[in-house]
Amino acid sequence: MNTPSLDSLGLWLRGTSVYRSIVRHGSTETNRNRSLIVFENLFLHVHPVKVREKTLRFKHTYWLGGITIVCLVVLVATGVPLMFYYHPSVPQAYQDMKELKYVVDNGIFLRNLHRWGAHLMVFGAFLHMLRVFYHGAYQPPRQFNWVVGVFLLVLTLFLSYTGYLLPWDQLAFWGVSVGTNMAREAPVIGDKLRFFLLGGNAVSENALLRFYVLHCVVLPVVLFMFLGVHIWRIRKDGGVKGPSEDAPDVFHEDEP
Amino acid sequence: MSALPPLSPVESNDPVEVPRRVALVRPDARPSIRRSSDKFVMAYPHLIIREVILFQVVVIFLTIMALIFNAPLEGIANPVETPNPAKAPWYFLGMQELLHYFPPFVAGVLIPGLVVVALAVIPYARINLTAGPLWKGSDEKKTTLAVAGVASVLVLFFGGFQCWAAAVPTAAVAGAMFMARGGSNGGRWKQAMARLTLPQWIMTWFVVLATVLTIIGTYFRGPGWSFVWPWTRMVHS
Amino acid sequence: MSNIPPEELLLEDDDPSRRQFMNRLGLGACAVAAAGAGVVTLDFLKPKVLFEPPTKFKAGNPADYTEGTVRFNKEQRAFVIGTAGGVFALSAVCTHLGCITRYVSDEGVIACPCHGSKFDLEGNVTHGPAPHPLQWLEVAVDDKGELVVDTAVGIPHGKVFRV
Repeated sequence: MNTPSLDSLGLWLRGTSVYRSIVRHGSTETNRNRSLIVFENLFLHVHPVKVREKTLRFKHTYWLGGITIVCLVVLVATGVPLMFYYHPSVPQAYQDMKELKYVVDNGIFLRNLHRWGAHLMVFGAFLHMLRVFYHGAYQPPRQFNWVVGVFLLVLTLFLSYTGYLLPWDQLAFWGVSVGTNMAREAPVIGDKLRFFLLGGNAVSENALLRFYVLHCVVLPVVLFMFLGVHIWRIRKDGGVKGPSEDAPDVFHEDEP
Repeated sequence: MSALPPLSPVESNDPVEVPRRVALVRPDARPSIRRSSDKFVMAYPHLIIREVILFQVVVIFLTIMALIFNAPLEGIANPVETPNPAKAPWYFLGMQELLHYFPPFVAGVLIPGLVVVALAVIPYARINLTAGPLWKGSDEKKTTLAVAGVASVLVLFFGGFQCWAAAVPTAAVAGAMFMARGGSNGGRWKQAMARLTLPQWIMTWFVVLATVLTIIGTYFRGPGWSFVWPWTRMVHS
Repeated sequence: MSNIPPEELLLEDDDPSRRQFMNRLGLGACAVAAAGAGVVTLDFLKPKVLFEPPTKFKAGNPADYTEGTVRFNKEQRAFVIGTAGGVFALSAVCTHLGCITRYVSDEGVIACPCHGSKFDLEGNVTHGPAPHPLQWLEVAVDDKGELVVDTAVGIPHGKVFRV
């Protein structure tokens, strides 16, 4: 009783002029419409309409880049709600952690999800890099995309590191103290670099605010820009490349 | 080809008026055509359904982790009280372990900087593009000498700083390189090892080193960065 | 269909040097503007007033520092040590990576909890990865005869303050 009425509701919805103004393609039963799904959708059009079947196999990529991107989506989706309860000031930042943990509904769950998502993203990016290396997928024409990938890995580490300070607990404070003292060892600019990064001579409220802005605005924007280039170039360079033995793309002379 | 015809661009919105372009191709420079015997499938649904499933699997995994394990939260930051030991996040613990042996400039700036540069130039180094299996098609004697030489220099260097955490894995990887020699008629693992090129061996060395240092830094370091067994550390904290 | 004579559409340079000059002028202006914006931003990001705790602290009467006295000021991260010849102050910030060292009275050493560095009571490195001795700090006497240590001012190693 329920199902047919739902079906007819769906049918009616698809017939309305509003729906048809948003989704322009018809049913997904023809290849033409399946192509339209991909290239008429802003979010799907990073895909080609057709892909090599072998690139879908698990052992082709182990889906490691995909795992990293899913983590990024989870991190944005959990990070933004966490921002509603967070003040980047001392000692309020730490009080907010306690509030998230004990008072806010599901606050601890969101924080856990953000934390473990961040770890998995770093881990996934590392493994993705190793996969690409051992499969020789950095080879021409994919050289530049490999370099973009290295940038993305460094950005991921910076993102994770700037986020590490935000809870303002002992772990955060001393992890960042030790890390920024390493920057001091860089020749010539080391001391200045640290001063700029921390906004002072020691890890203090200024440093917390700077790391917060870097973590929530600057680094994500840069990361998304590089990620856009990374994904766009995958397609421009002929799709994902798997183990080298099954992808010898040979140039053939056309028969005369 | 004495005089080129005068160039006369036409400004028009009418496609019919825009002259067609004709390309002349010399017979010895025919454009090559990429041929592939690969089977193609539609991205929708084959690729997109897999992406959706991947998304679900990762989110479910993370949700379970988040429900079981709580993110750590220690006492409020106290600039005058250094916790003992003070540890960085896990992906920096390999570096922190190096800091125990080398001056900060070397372990904190030079080595990470070199690693990032080395990673970035991988696709532009000829050897990474052309290298064959290490023991194949090369002078075996020369390779033996080179591998043994470089490995012993590295082991002596790390040993000189008493950095056994790096010296031992280096020696182990060098040993594996020799084991791979003539391994093409061995077992599955030996065959896989025999296929590795020199750049791949170097990356393997880096990965093994980074993994060992990270594990030691994470599980085997206690107060004052002294060596402890993981189980005693648990009792301590 | 346009009626512009073809020769006028041809991008032929009747004065290439002038065009080149204008191009360079334009690009140069952009570069100067970008550099200026960069400098202003960097300057903006540099804090002008720091609300950091005062670097000078009072360390008590010089007569209290008999030979072998080691006092640790937690907030200021400094040791004040008495010797036969006078008093000197030592930064407690480890020269390795900035952890706060502690005085271990049983062993008579200053030890860092982070990476295992150890120092003797004059700040010299006796063990571990620290690259330099601990920083000696300026000691002075105020008008009431009390010792004043300034953690922001370093002095050469071994310069003991004579009382």
